[in-house]
Amino acid sequence: MKKNKIILCTAFILSFAVLKTTAQQGEVRMTASLAGATPMGDFKDLVDKTSFRGVDINIIYGINDKLGAGLNIGFQDFYQKFPRAVYKLSDGSDISAVITNSVQTIPFLATAKYNFSSSGIQPYASAGVGGSVVLYRQYLGEAANDFNKISFAARPSLGVYIPFKKDGEVGLNIAANYTYIPYKEAGVSNLSYFGFTVGVGFPMRN
Amino acid sequence: MIRIKLFYLIAPVFFALQSCVKDAVDNLDGDEKPLYITKADTNADFSSYATFSLADSVAVISNNQLVQRVRTDYDAAFINAIAAQMESRGFTRVAHGNSPDLGISISRIYNDFTGIIDYSDYWGGYNDYWDPYYWGYPGYDYYFPPVYGTYTVTEGAVAIDMFDLKNAAGSNQLRQVWSGLVRGSGTFTSGMINRHSQLLFEQSPYLQR
Repeated sequence: MKKNKIILCTAFILSFAVLKTTAQQGEVRMTASLAGATPMGDFKDLVDKTSFRGVDINIIYGINDKLGAGLNIGFQDFYQKFPRAVYKLSDGSDISAVITNSVQTIPFLATAKYNFSSSGIQPYASAGVGGSVVLYRQYLGEAANDFNKISFAARPSLGVYIPFKKDGEVGLNIAANYTYIPYKEAGVSNLSYFGFTVGVGFPMRN
Repeated sequence: MIRIKLFYLIAPVFFALQSCVKDAVDNLDGDEKPLYITKADTNADFSSYATFSLADSVAVISNNQLVQRVRTDYDAAFINAIAAQMESRGFTRVAHGNSPDLGISISRIYNDFTGIIDYSDYWGGYNDYWDPYYWGYPGYDYYFPPVYGTYTVTEGAVAIDMFDLKNAAGSNQLRQVWSGLVRGSGTFTSGMINRHSQLLFEQSPYLQR
């Protein structure tokens, strides 16, 4: 079952890598990636394990050969189960429970991208600002409490595009980012994380 | 055109994402599911009590109504497990009529939660599923009377209540000095009774003669 899920997730990403084409100015390009993320700051109180269950999609319109603007949509699933422990409740009761934190973030960001080079291997920097759907469910045993919210989100990112063939328009995309999500619920102040993506970049054609 | 392409690319991705979410409940082992909740009277001095008595049957309470008092194998095992824990803490079990300092009763609690399932959504497109033409009435509409399905979920728990009998006469009250509650999957599994009682007492170190 778990293997099927991994295959399914990977298949969606790899299925985009079927293309060819030309320049960047005036062109819409998509980058579809698998994403990993490590919680930072307060978020580590809920989950401190790195998640490899994520995807990231960038759709960027080339304003010119170096500058682009578009949309970044992502998804990351964070999960951590803590061993059974006794917690104090506000009414003075003690509860022994296995607590599981399940957090999904779905950032949607208006993004600007700057390519430091317009041919060959292309390092780039990008910055996105927008929101993130946060689905946070805390389980005490099987009993769930939801703390869902839409929060502000910002994401600076550095990456590199490596064409599969010289000056090719389809290539490998590797990037690292920091996603800032202020989230003042359930005793935490943010759900920020350091992320990394590996995927395929390609032009979208009519 | 690009918009359509985008839809076909992105929509299935996010549809598939649900299957990428790690299911918290599926990842719980059997002994990780129960919850154990205890609460003590902060004014109670448990070292002042020496003896206790346990009711020899268990009250079955369904939706806040007493159904019966019974002593099934499960109930007997639970009573004995609680008695063993109390004795391990230095208290002495005595018969009901021997003026115990503490009285302990055990209850099985069942609460039903009922909801409604509305199946009517699928009727909206019924003309597409089964064109009235099929029945020889082209151009007709279907009519569906309102029908709903209901479901009931029963949630169960075991409650252990400890009362101060030693000072009851002075206050005219049977004051609860400690309570323990077990709920969640596995609560009624006989093989887990000793673990239930052990965990309830482990998190109550003040329960000591």
